[in-house]
Amino acid sequence: MGVLDSRQLARFEEFVLPHLDAAYNLARWLTRKDHDAEDVVQEAYLRAVRFFDTFHGADGRVWLLAIVRNACYDWLKQNRKQWLATSFDEELHSAPQSALDPANLALVQEDRELLRQALDELPTEYREILVLRELEGLSYKEIGQVAGLPLGTVMSRLARGRDRLEQRLKASDGGRFETGSTNKEP
Amino acid sequence: MDCRQTQHLLHGYLDGELDLVRSLEIEEHLRGCADCQQVQKSQQALRQAFRAGSLAFRAPAGLEARIRSAVRGAAEPPRVSVRLPHWAWTGIAACVALAAGLACGVFYSRSTESGREPLGQQALASHLRFVLAGRPPDVPSSDQHKVKPWFQDKVPFSPFVKDLAAQGFLLVGGNLDYLDNQRVAALIYRRREHIISLFIWPADSAADTPPVEQERQGYNLISWTRSGMNLWAVSNVNPNDLREFASLVNAGG
Repeated sequence: MGVLDSRQLARFEEFVLPHLDAAYNLARWLTRKDHDAEDVVQEAYLRAVRFFDTFHGADGRVWLLAIVRNACYDWLKQNRKQWLATSFDEELHSAPQSALDPANLALVQEDRELLRQALDELPTEYREILVLRELEGLSYKEIGQVAGLPLGTVMSRLARGRDRLEQRLKASDGGRFETGSTNKEP
Repeated sequence: MDCRQTQHLLHGYLDGELDLVRSLEIEEHLRGCADCQQVQKSQQALRQAFRAGSLAFRAPAGLEARIRSAVRGAAEPPRVSVRLPHWAWTGIAACVALAAGLACGVFYSRSTESGREPLGQQALASHLRFVLAGRPPDVPSSDQHKVKPWFQDKVPFSPFVKDLAAQGFLLVGGNLDYLDNQRVAALIYRRREHIISLFIWPADSAADTPPVEQERQGYNLISWTRSGMNLWAVSNVNPNDLREFASLVNAGG
């Protein structure tokens, strides 16, 4: 019943507590609100205490992030069900590869807010994978462990998420991001 | 390999997740295909934008303390329990009973470590003191030509300061620190949201030693000796990134 002895508690503080920023980052991107993220992270840490006997490896971050992700999805199901309603099919949605014009990419780099907004508007399934990869630097295998997905799905969601991100970056500021493609011959 | 396959695998390629054979196949295709090169460029630019964007959120001040006390059960339990499911409440109750035991454990380990702490632990503690304080470095600058001279009258050696921004490691400044019973230079770099401390000080012997990796409390450390200097890199970035950082620091002159 999740009773930690003092040795386990010390271990918990060593291996799990230091990853608070990563936990908060994921929760904040999934719940979209500061105080909701704080609640979910706190809940996740209490679950982590309870399930600490399932922690065997050395990588507390991946183990914790899996719990945070579950806590986020439980919270979303209860409070933001509509965000999870976006259904998509891995095979059907093979959108053509869109290419941003590298000449305009300096603008993307400067425009942090545009990127933040584009990422925020992605469906949860893509957003979480991109956050884990681009902001936390997790490997595909680690992402698979956190999200409970096979490697192939991690890879295809990542590809599709990035495609959508590019499309949104173009759409959200047409004038700036379309200039490149207008030069292209059809 | 055709364009469809290449573009399908391009993400894995750019993320360093493909095996060598596949990577070579992709590189071969890319050399001869302008369309796929274009897709590759835009993908690289998107990664670059993420790297430069620092979009990660950091836990707000006070959250760690709240969680720590919730975990330890040191917070006033009735107030916390209002919002918690029953199982969590039971867990907290259990933790309360343990708080006293934990305190003893802490004192015990302190007293037994009254001797010299291992260098890795010292380096990690220095790194954490800086990160947790949330203050700017003593010399906050991304300019290697500002950071290096700053150390001139502070340490009896000249640390090599590298600009690794192009490789995704931004120099953010330097600190004067104290390790191994002497003054050391601490260079501070940033990778995405992660801070990397690079400690530098003269070694006892001039012989180079290869990098040694270790993990402490969820942080990664790499230490090595080069050109008569001890180098310790400490961070919570993933081991691959820290390895890349160490080899970049080591590369060239």
